[in-house]
Amino acid sequence: MARYLAGRLLTAIPTLLVIATLAFMLLHLTPGGPFDSDRILTPQIERSIAARYHLDEPLWQQYFRYLGDLARGDLGPSFQYRNTSVNELIAQGLPVDVTIGALSMLFALLAGGALGLLAATRQGSVLDQLATSVAILGISVPVFVTAPLLILVFAMRLHWLPAGDWVSGSWQHLVLPSVALALPYTAYIARIMRASTCDALSQPFIRTARAKGLSPTAVLWRHALRPALMPVVSFLGPALAGVLTGSIVIEQVFGLPGMGRYFVTGALNRDYTVVTGITVLYGALIIGLNLLADLSYAWLDPRLRRPA
Amino acid sequence: MSRWPLRRLALPALLALAACGPGHGGADPRPDRPRVGTAAAATQELTRAIDAGGVRSIDPSISSDLPAGRVLDDLFEGLTRLGQDGEPVPGVASRWDTSADGRTWTFHLREARWSNGAPLRAGDFVYAWRRTVDPRTASDYAQALAPVANAIAVSEGRLPVTALGIDAPDERTVRVRLEAPTPYLLSLMTKSFAFPQYEPAIRAHGDDWVRPQFMVSNGAFVLRELVIGGRIALERNPRYWDAAHVRLQRVVYLPLDRAAQTDRFFAGELAFTDSFSAEQTSWLRSRLGDQVVSAPYLGNFVLGLNATRAPFAGNRALRLAMSMAVDREILVKYVRQGLYEPAWTPTPPLPGYHAPVPAWARLGEAQRHALARRYYAEAGYSAQHPLRVELHYPTDSDNRRTYEAVAAMWRSNLGAEVRTFNEEFRVQLNERHLKLLALFHYAWIGDYPDPYTFLQLFRTGFGYNDGGYSNPRYDALLSAAGQESDAARRLQLLSQAEAVLDEDAACIPLYYYASRHLIKPYVRGWTSNIQDRNLSQYMYLLEHEGG
Repeated sequence: MARYLAGRLLTAIPTLLVIATLAFMLLHLTPGGPFDSDRILTPQIERSIAARYHLDEPLWQQYFRYLGDLARGDLGPSFQYRNTSVNELIAQGLPVDVTIGALSMLFALLAGGALGLLAATRQGSVLDQLATSVAILGISVPVFVTAPLLILVFAMRLHWLPAGDWVSGSWQHLVLPSVALALPYTAYIARIMRASTCDALSQPFIRTARAKGLSPTAVLWRHALRPALMPVVSFLGPALAGVLTGSIVIEQVFGLPGMGRYFVTGALNRDYTVVTGITVLYGALIIGLNLLADLSYAWLDPRLRRPA
Repeated sequence: MSRWPLRRLALPALLALAACGPGHGGADPRPDRPRVGTAAAATQELTRAIDAGGVRSIDPSISSDLPAGRVLDDLFEGLTRLGQDGEPVPGVASRWDTSADGRTWTFHLREARWSNGAPLRAGDFVYAWRRTVDPRTASDYAQALAPVANAIAVSEGRLPVTALGIDAPDERTVRVRLEAPTPYLLSLMTKSFAFPQYEPAIRAHGDDWVRPQFMVSNGAFVLRELVIGGRIALERNPRYWDAAHVRLQRVVYLPLDRAAQTDRFFAGELAFTDSFSAEQTSWLRSRLGDQVVSAPYLGNFVLGLNATRAPFAGNRALRLAMSMAVDREILVKYVRQGLYEPAWTPTPPLPGYHAPVPAWARLGEAQRHALARRYYAEAGYSAQHPLRVELHYPTDSDNRRTYEAVAAMWRSNLGAEVRTFNEEFRVQLNERHLKLLALFHYAWIGDYPDPYTFLQLFRTGFGYNDGGYSNPRYDALLSAAGQESDAARRLQLLSQAEAVLDEDAACIPLYYYASRHLIKPYVRGWTSNIQDRNLSQYMYLLEHEGG
């Protein structure tokens, strides 16, 4: 197990290196520089700015300097936000993304799981069809449509919830962005849960359990749920990475100061360090969460725990 | 039972729910018009929007972006400050004298304090200005102080910072020496690069001095909260010399794009937006009435013509034909929903300045089109041999509509085939500076209410003369204006220079900008002004219900 873990972590390093290199090079190839503006700079000031951010060095030197700093966990200074480091931006933006992401995952799991279970235990009923319809709707309507719709209904029309912004300590501000982000995942989870529960319920061991005289509820909770959760768990890894990295649209629509927002403005402003830094972080998150999902199989499925 | 009925119901149901919202027309049971009382509200907290890009720096020496400018206007105050009507009024300086040649100004400071209680001294201005032009500060706004003696030489590292034309003969006097008479100096003094700075805070905390826990400022408000790229909260500064007249207790700035600003305004979370989409003007007016506020703004929407490349280089007839063939009134009325004023010359209307308008602008449409076709033919183009050129502009839906319409006018009025290309702002900027583009978006927002801020763009060798226009007669008139100490005579010279631009058809002015805000009816104390700067210190809230 430890060897497996170490192996997986070791292969993550070259992957991250490739990601960092690609991001760094692509950004430097993009036309327009971080300090092009419609203001006039004297050559002396241009040189001064370039020296401050090492933009006067040859590209390969900048690249190795960047990798050296990256190895030490220093993502460099932001070019667009003066006096601010990328580490600071991430420290400020990541908690926003993690909070919204965790809440939306929780919502997706609870709502999607419940919908899926409900549909699976009442196959073919009106409830099943309703759940399936909602799931299809959730999957097919993109976030940039649902988020403004939610704002329209709950903030602008009903005035129940705020239309956006990040106010620490206020749960009201978390509701709409979390729900908007959760909707497609809820739908996916509902579909996966329905299919896997249906599948589990048709297994011989369930027939045995029923034959023992267990109530349908007991059969479902004690015997069917665990195998039915397996596909959901395998979806959870990429889904978690998805909510963390995919909240860019949500952040724009709701005006949240998360990493996605820095990422987008960074790309537009040619903020090389911010974009490369966040790309590497996103890469690390995806690798890490996939690893976690793989490890959780072992916990759910005892057969995988046996040494190969 | 069929599975379809339910699916067919779900989407319409959601859409029907959404249709109740203000995003759709029809009778609305809850019009967004709050009831407003006459007494001041108990809670004086204003939430304003700034452009979505957010504030990149609130260091007065470094910041050059508009959103930061709004926040800095509330945090600091210069020798003068912007009055409610947009004209400069006494700020930290209570009065000033000018030398006979207009090149030396002496400002007498009132008794003012920093937000930490320390007395504000004349030396704080000297320190701040030197810091702005010091090449080591790497400010992209250093050139804004160009009218001050030696500012350019210092920013280029040719002279030490002590050579800058500012000194403090005593603690309450600031003396400013200028390169040339600068009638708009008092306006410049209201801007962030001319604010005083508190040296001990900068020395102690370095770049971090702009954080809420360290910042020392001298304006009507102090910084309480700063989320990078996010919300910025300010609180009334009780130590401000004019604090008795500041009624807002708290001001919150939210960086939002135009669509989100409108949403938040309807949701009652914003009382003062920074902008709204021009496309929505009529709809917003029908919903919000006089909460939609628009006024002339110090900016022009101009198409640049490259004087160094085909097809416009050395082809005045073609440049004139292109300019004449654009129907500005139609553009302004139908494409931009009547928000803007049509333009025939680069400088927007300014008090005391007579902007020259080319004679052909007064012709009727048919006559003007006929003349345009004559010039087009003279330039060597015809139906068999039409002009083919690309128009480049930065991506934006409002820009797209405008330029598609302009291209259509050229097609129908001249037969010219103009393809429009939208690009990311920085890409376009880069190509423009390299003079790669023949026909390009060249809009400009003035730094101060004076024609020179627009006319400098066509001066030979000027860094942002992206069309590469050059005419010795024009340069000579600008230089003469620069040396002229009589204000009226100076404006006359500038007007003559601008007439040269029009004669040469150096660019194609389309219209002048307008500021656009949504403002709740309970917000008082603001006035539209040409610089579109509304200081929170003049504003207050009336008691209200709803909205």
